[in-house]
Amino acid sequence: MRQTESAQGQHGIFRAGRTVTQSASAGSRSNRPMNDAPLEFASPRLTQWDPEHTGDQAAREKLRPALFAQYGDLANLRYDYPLVLVDSDDEQSFVQSLSSIFDGILQKIAPPGASGEQLRRDMLRLETGIRMRALGGVEGLLSVLWRLTETDLITACEDAEKDRLEHDLDRARDLLGSDGPLDGHVIDCTEATPVRLLVHGWEQVQAAKAKAFRKKVEGLILSLSDILKADFMKSDKASRPEALQVAIGDASATDFDFDAMSAVLAKGPHENLLSEDRRRRIGATLMVLNSQRFFAPGRASADSSERDAPFDFVFDNCAEALDAFRDRLPQMVDLIKAITIAELEIVNRYRVSQHEAFFAHFDESELGEDELALFPSYLVCLRDGHSGASETVQAFEAIASGLPVKVLIQTDDILGDPTPEPPRASFGGGSTRLAAMAVGVNDAFVLQAASSDLYRLRDTVRDGLAYDGPALFSIFSGATPTISGVPSYLVAAAAKESRAFPTFTYNPAAGPDRVSRFRIGDNPQSDRDWPEHTLSFEDQDQQRVVEQVAFTHADFAICDARYAKHRIPVASSQWHDSIVPVDEHVQLSAEQRGEKAAYVWTIDADNALRKTVVDDKLLRGARRCLKVWQGLQEIGGINDPYVSRILAEERATWEREKETELEALREELDREAPQAGLAKPAIAEPVAPAASDEAPPTVEAAPASDAEQVAPADPDAAYIETPRCTTCNECTQINNKMFIYNEDMQAEIADPDAGSFRQLVEAAEICQVSIIHPGKPRNPDEPGLDELMERAAPFN
Amino acid sequence: MSAPLTECLLRTIDEHYSLQDYQSDISPRWCTGCGDNGILTAVQRLCRDEQLPPEKTVFVSGIGCSSRLPHYMNAYGFHGLHGRALPVAEGIKMRRPDLHVFVSTGDGDCCSIGAAHWIHAIRYNMNMTVLLHDNQVYGLTKKQASPTSPRGLKSNTTPSGTWLDPINPLTTSLGVANVSFIAQAVDWIPELLYDIIEQAYRHKGFSLVRILQRCPEFLPTLFDPWVRNPASTRLLVHEDGIQLSAALSKTYRNQEVHDPGNIHRAREVSSLTEEIPVGILYRDDDVPCYEDLREGERPNTPGLVRTVLDEEFDKFTIWPEEQPTDAAN
Repeated sequence: MRQTESAQGQHGIFRAGRTVTQSASAGSRSNRPMNDAPLEFASPRLTQWDPEHTGDQAAREKLRPALFAQYGDLANLRYDYPLVLVDSDDEQSFVQSLSSIFDGILQKIAPPGASGEQLRRDMLRLETGIRMRALGGVEGLLSVLWRLTETDLITACEDAEKDRLEHDLDRARDLLGSDGPLDGHVIDCTEATPVRLLVHGWEQVQAAKAKAFRKKVEGLILSLSDILKADFMKSDKASRPEALQVAIGDASATDFDFDAMSAVLAKGPHENLLSEDRRRRIGATLMVLNSQRFFAPGRASADSSERDAPFDFVFDNCAEALDAFRDRLPQMVDLIKAITIAELEIVNRYRVSQHEAFFAHFDESELGEDELALFPSYLVCLRDGHSGASETVQAFEAIASGLPVKVLIQTDDILGDPTPEPPRASFGGGSTRLAAMAVGVNDAFVLQAASSDLYRLRDTVRDGLAYDGPALFSIFSGATPTISGVPSYLVAAAAKESRAFPTFTYNPAAGPDRVSRFRIGDNPQSDRDWPEHTLSFEDQDQQRVVEQVAFTHADFAICDARYAKHRIPVASSQWHDSIVPVDEHVQLSAEQRGEKAAYVWTIDADNALRKTVVDDKLLRGARRCLKVWQGLQEIGGINDPYVSRILAEERATWEREKETELEALREELDREAPQAGLAKPAIAEPVAPAASDEAPPTVEAAPASDAEQVAPADPDAAYIETPRCTTCNECTQINNKMFIYNEDMQAEIADPDAGSFRQLVEAAEICQVSIIHPGKPRNPDEPGLDELMERAAPFN
Repeated sequence: MSAPLTECLLRTIDEHYSLQDYQSDISPRWCTGCGDNGILTAVQRLCRDEQLPPEKTVFVSGIGCSSRLPHYMNAYGFHGLHGRALPVAEGIKMRRPDLHVFVSTGDGDCCSIGAAHWIHAIRYNMNMTVLLHDNQVYGLTKKQASPTSPRGLKSNTTPSGTWLDPINPLTTSLGVANVSFIAQAVDWIPELLYDIIEQAYRHKGFSLVRILQRCPEFLPTLFDPWVRNPASTRLLVHEDGIQLSAALSKTYRNQEVHDPGNIHRAREVSSLTEEIPVGILYRDDDVPCYEDLREGERPNTPGLVRTVLDEEFDKFTIWPEEQPTDAAN
């Protein structure tokens, strides 16, 4: 796929990267954040065509993938790095990119259009200056680097501009974290990045957990203390002279006669005092809550000077982390027990008969996921080449244990040595497979990613750190010692781009099945074998050529000095049809390959473009990488052969059925002559629209059900419409044996013979809601019945 | 963050409160026939049906006949100052948000001396259930005109009849910012009285139920036109509001489908004079509660109070090394 054109093209393996000049001009057209500007290059830098030169050995070692040509100067690109490890209570934003921070500030202070252009350019110079310092290895707080860079810019600018520049940058600095102080260490993409970012994120997650824990436990302590305090205040001790003196305080001790005060104060009723057992139980619970060491005391905690130091939860090997967990298990049990007892005591639901035996046998078997989630997780930071190879086994033991252990495995070298021997004291080539293997644990959170993607995956990182169970973070730093002259960020990005270290996530909390838990969509063009990009260059005739090229594992591997002998640049005079791109070559069968060679596009130190033939070792690596990637695609639901097979079968079945139906219809048509004037099936009229608001809808009253009819079967019997009773006491005061209240405190006739017919009539007359129906007299000898029946008539 | 273990253990405790568990040892001293009796019964039924632990339930009142209700409940109670039931209840809710807070207030207590607290309590929208017993007269002090007394009512303080139109607690409440639940009930339809109080209790926020109640002693015939003629009572029904039983629906045929989310219609219905609207007039579940807005990051423990006070005092402390030296003097 090759074409020649004169128009400008574009390409890029970094989605967020763009030149500084372009960003500023995009910002001038609109006031949107610079990172949202369209990716286009105002002045594409074309690589030079050098058809004959194949270079010597030194030049060969400096060969880089052709797609790197646009990214030779990272300082002048806006991309995710440097990062700011934000010191904030908000665990949601534990890391921000420098560019996003500047974008946020510009959105607030730079007016759209030309009037804000100067400010945008000044801020861009400031951002570039800070980025250059970070790339140069300078680290520090953002506020410090801002000040240093601002001073440099003001010093370097013309006198007439100094005041304006200082004013603008000061105004911008005031907005740094206008929603709260925003500061933190600025870090670039280096070998230290994975550990620093993970540890910082872990600390933020633990800080949030500690905050919630302290709020809960301090609340429990307060409530338990209130119970003891209320009990004390009810006791005689509270009104004793010494207690009164303590209550008043030493400062006024001489102003009062506490003996006299004690004598005049009323003594407590001595009712409902706590039992000695309960007081002791609450005291013991308070002691456990106050002395816990899993979280440091907070502002609301009692005096912490007597406390033991809190536990440490960060380790450099899994064995120590697991040992620490086991050693602390008894204290975890005691704490959970204390919390549970406290919660029961506070709601007054501790039942000695039920709970005493339960808590007597309370042990670690009672700790479920919810209980473990209250405690900090354990963070273990391992590094390929530095941690012992046995740590791989320990790490898997930790992850498979289901305990809240977060394991970071940092890998600096994913290619490994070309020799086939297994590496010593290193996870070696296996490091790229660790994460995929950990997915099989099923309840462990797994993230594999390159350092270049850590900012984009910050939410995923946070999810993993906050996940209640175990988690494995397999991070490729990009700081491969044998790849020289290429920034770690580029190496890490290329590893992901080439599928050598693809990004994937397995989050057990994301859903019930693997489809929802496993994600590979963070990879570029994840539905393809290799991502394809546009390579544009200038040919011998100074014409621009645009070609679609795949970025393969071989493109990534040629950067490594150890693989220099496995590739060789080829002069264009030696090109022929048997030299095919690597992505095509790896698709060929062994027979098809025949004498065909494979090449990748490369550039040398002078940006001269050439085809570089790779040998079978690199091709084998590419094929193996592709197989692994296709396996991940399959797990992620892309090109799933099972699904494809079922779909094909279903489609074939459906087509057969339809064909059968069609055939039957055709036969029917052939048999019967067409008939005109067939009646169409009746179609229901559309539902009328709802009534307008002006006329509020009314409701047709529903008939009362039989069950709700309260009239008795005997028409002469007295009865009350009990559901309508307003509990006014009128009838019960007339005769509380004849009229009683039911369980809902509504009146009913308990015994019509418990009183006279006169009382029934009087109750009916006095009832304000007229719900008493006297019926007919039960005693024919009762005096004055005629008159009473006349009075009762309106109520029957 | 409640430990599931505790929840499991709580579920094993088989305790059931009967209606009698909410009845105090003191028998109600309201007049026979007083609507307060029915309100008390409805509240006790609610407590039983919701199984509210008496020690986790508080009834707060001001002064008046209605404000005697806490005495008759076997729960915590606070019989406060005239017109000050709401600020007391707000203080309780602020300090102990775990408690179920009910307020029993009257038309004089709430709409006259306590009117300022009433308005702002609506605005604060703290999670509590307020029962406004509105008998349209001061009964405890033997018949004086209240803010809701009908124009022309002759009483001890208005022997020639009142000169002003009464205040309408419903329209007034519906005009206050952050209003989240307004309903009206009448004591002579106990079924609806219970249903409305139940919905008020379940609403998270400030739930105001105006209950028209009869005073058999001083205004015995005031509500007769409505008590004796069901057609003059308009029942507001809705799938998100009150739904009637078949028996009640047969008796009270004057019904309107009213969406409690429609505040404009709620204001119109509340302004009816010939008919009494009964039901949920307005409900907005999205209004935030003040106690939630002001919930601190940490409980106010003695340790925190001491820490904060020390920090504040330290701002004004003159440390020895900062004291001027003799040489400087």
